[in-house]
Amino acid sequence: MPPSNPDPTDAELVDSFPYVQVDHDTKHFYRGWLERRLLVNRCGDCGHWHHPPKPVCPQCLSGSLEPTEVSGRGVIHLSMLLHQGPRAPGVDYVAGPHPVVTVELEEQAALRITTTLVDGPEAAAIGTPVELTWIERHGSPFPAFRTRGS
Amino acid sequence: MARNPIKDQVAIVGIGTTGFRRDAGGRSSASLGVEAAIAAIRDAGLTPADIDGITAVAEPGAPRPNQVAAMLGIPNVRHYASPSPVAVFGLVDAINAVFSGACDTALLLFSMLRLPWGSRSAAADPFRKHLGFGASVIPEMLMGAPAYAAWASRYVHEYGARREDFGYVALNSRTNAASNPLAAMRAPLTMDDYLSARMIRDPLCLLDMDLPVDGADAFVITTAERARDLRDDPVLIHAATVGLASEGDEDQLGGLSRTGQHVVVEQLKAKSDLWLDDVDVFFPYDGFTIITLGWIENLGFCGPGEGGKFLESHWDEKSGRALIDGRVPINPHGGSLSEGATRGSGHLREAVVQLRGDAGDRQVAGARTALVTPGGFFFNSQGVILRSG
Ligand SMILES: [Zn+2]
Repeated sequence: MPPSNPDPTDAELVDSFPYVQVDHDTKHFYRGWLERRLLVNRCGDCGHWHHPPKPVCPQCLSGSLEPTEVSGRGVIHLSMLLHQGPRAPGVDYVAGPHPVVTVELEEQAALRITTTLVDGPEAAAIGTPVELTWIERHGSPFPAFRTRGS
Repeated sequence: MARNPIKDQVAIVGIGTTGFRRDAGGRSSASLGVEAAIAAIRDAGLTPADIDGITAVAEPGAPRPNQVAAMLGIPNVRHYASPSPVAVFGLVDAINAVFSGACDTALLLFSMLRLPWGSRSAAADPFRKHLGFGASVIPEMLMGAPAYAAWASRYVHEYGARREDFGYVALNSRTNAASNPLAAMRAPLTMDDYLSARMIRDPLCLLDMDLPVDGADAFVITTAERARDLRDDPVLIHAATVGLASEGDEDQLGGLSRTGQHVVVEQLKAKSDLWLDDVDVFFPYDGFTIITLGWIENLGFCGPGEGGKFLESHWDEKSGRALIDGRVPINPHGGSLSEGATRGSGHLREAVVQLRGDAGDRQVAGARTALVTPGGFFFNSQGVILRSG
């Protein structure tokens, strides 16, 4: 979705992300992607964060949830290097393995986002501090991480 | 003790299998399934008219219970269900149906086909185009299989695990498969072979992953009372459970110290009169080698992170496989890594064969108790203790 469309319809939103299932629980999360903002569900009552988006807070069962922008800073918690896998634009398994990292966000223990690391496979060690960046996937923004100084 | 009124009250009285092949050649899932089902019903000394319950596991492309009833001409079905894949979901459904009186004699059927997302040859087969199932559609998803490589990275990080630790699981399976004529992969394997195998999802390589296969397993299940009239070697279900920790997505799991496997172990231990020292033959799941190390550790054979060293220290150099305390083999049929990716039905079948004393060259002398723990860390951890009746 080009930035010139500030308020995409639900149909445009769904069409922007053909590789995931966007529904009424996840639509805010993916609308955030269109604006290059990582919005994670936070409970309006108890402040607990959770991901992926659920209809209630698993900590206190409140339905009062706020998609809330996170700092984007975190640490690599899981790291694998794909030597083969699903096809995706910009991913060339022949040129080298594709890193897939699960990053624990600084907002809360075990609050994690899984995506790729733009620095390449050598940089994808567990424990590495990273920060959010954005790449393109099928013409839409896609969150990724890059390393940062500790 | 946890409540377990079903203990020893339900029995497996029939087994049937097609064996497993990398390509069964021009056969449908229904064709494989019905062959195994007929064999299991005959093995029990019954006819289709004696079956009044059908649990047909919802593998992609597998026949539904109504199709099974139609193929076999089963006239009156009083219980039927299609549980998710991985063996004990189906087993628990069938045994509960028999124990409750919902039905008297259940057919439990697993029909497996190689799927396009996990097998290049399957992807090239036009008759399998309709078989979708749980595949990640972008590289950056952990859903299903990739989660095991991702969490294996954490296991390596936390425990300093060596590649050999995973390798022992692969070697053990392959050695055992050599004496199983039903197995798809029986060529010998060395640690050097393992270490030089192609990486797929580093830190896991090709030989850390189970082998996509075509084939089917079937079981006939009835009350222990009826079982004694049918045969002199029924296999009793002593305790069975599934287990789920609360995280709904693989990448949100709190850690390797609290998985579905831990829930299963707590439940089994609380339900069973028999535990690790009583076990004669052990069937930990091996869809990925990391899962086997998890079961060995979480059941308490050794501590966290020590699974590979446990296998090494219980390694029988002469036969090239693990024998716990020189006695208990692990997946003597070759498991999912080498017999083929049965999602646990092969483990369950071999447990029955061993407890009947019918395993021939690979028979564990005097086997009376089997521990079978299918499933991985997330949404299919499960376990069953079987004993000869
Ligand atoms: Zn809350």
